[in-house]
Amino acid sequence: MLDLRTTLDRAAGDGRPDGRPVDPAPDLRRGRAALVRRTRRRRAAGLGALALVGVAAVGVALDRPATQRLPSDTVASSPVDAQVALVAATLEAEPYAFGLTPRGWGVGGRTPTAVTIVPDDGSTSADPDDFRGKLVVMLDANPLDGREVERDGRTFWITSGGGYTTMATPTLPGEREGVVRIQFPDGAGWDEDAMLDFLGSVRVGDTAEPGVG
Amino acid sequence: MRMTDRDAEFVGFTHDHRPDLVRMATLLTAGDASSAEDLVQTTLTRLYLAWPRVRRADNRLGYARTTLTHVFVDETRRAHRRWERSADGLPDRAAATGLAPEERDAVHAALRDLAPRQRAVVVLRHWLDLDVAETARVLDCSTGTVKSQTAKALAHLRAALTPDPTTL
Repeated sequence: MLDLRTTLDRAAGDGRPDGRPVDPAPDLRRGRAALVRRTRRRRAAGLGALALVGVAAVGVALDRPATQRLPSDTVASSPVDAQVALVAATLEAEPYAFGLTPRGWGVGGRTPTAVTIVPDDGSTSADPDDFRGKLVVMLDANPLDGREVERDGRTFWITSGGGYTTMATPTLPGEREGVVRIQFPDGAGWDEDAMLDFLGSVRVGDTAEPGVG
Repeated sequence: MRMTDRDAEFVGFTHDHRPDLVRMATLLTAGDASSAEDLVQTTLTRLYLAWPRVRRADNRLGYARTTLTHVFVDETRRAHRRWERSADGLPDRAAATGLAPEERDAVHAALRDLAPRQRAVVVLRHWLDLDVAETARVLDCSTGTVKSQTAKALAHLRAALTPDPTTL
């Protein structure tokens, strides 16, 4: 009878192909270099976004007198159009907790099935059911669809349309089973890297209620 | 360069667990030592970038093994043939195992005949002892898929590795 576990265990070797002690230095160098590359990429993306916002703001000002501005312009031209910066601080948005915090954003409101995260500049509605310009965090059991992206050991599904980008990923072992989704408003300074990092930092608490539909 | 907390923790983790990851990668790549090393390097780089999350994980080695599995699946999706490149060759060197070289090569050859995801299922279920649900979660597939892949993989491995009594 085949003892598969023992056979595999022996075939796996001892994990030291050269027979030498483990030297973490090369792995550390690779990790640091990757971190520097990621930081540079984000800075470059942030400068690009700022330049675009500047052009858009000038365009709005020239095209339409201030007295004729539509309410939605308040969101479109708000300071949060600049690239969102994620800082290493915990954002408690019960029942969710994020390991990264978008600078200048905070918890807006809660419904039984969603938590909103909004810019601190007051540019969004106080109505908890009005999601315009807000991040909406949800838990559900709907199928995953859209473009798949692997990041840091997790798989994310991305869909876009209607002025929003939605990212979804299965909850982690030990968390309430389901799919955690965040809907990001377009034009609010969130690039894909920032969205992935922010969603990837979420922890779903036991009290999260899955939405239906 | 100054050592940050992230650096120090990462170095400690790598020192303690790199061999564990190399062993798992060796099975996933069916004994291809250079591909296994590539997998581990990519995995550790991802872990360094995600260290704030790794730090919060209840089981850092478990987190790392999940990342390694995803790196493996991701790589096989992008370049499926790459993992088959050693099909006609021997592993780079004889690893220090309790198996005789010809036995080790037979195990690696049997693993090599499996599809990459079947190999991953075998490693997760029958080497790491994950249950079906956990294996499905790591591989982002259904429990039914895990069961069917396990059955096919085990049938192949038994046929390939169980001595034929008529030849004894």
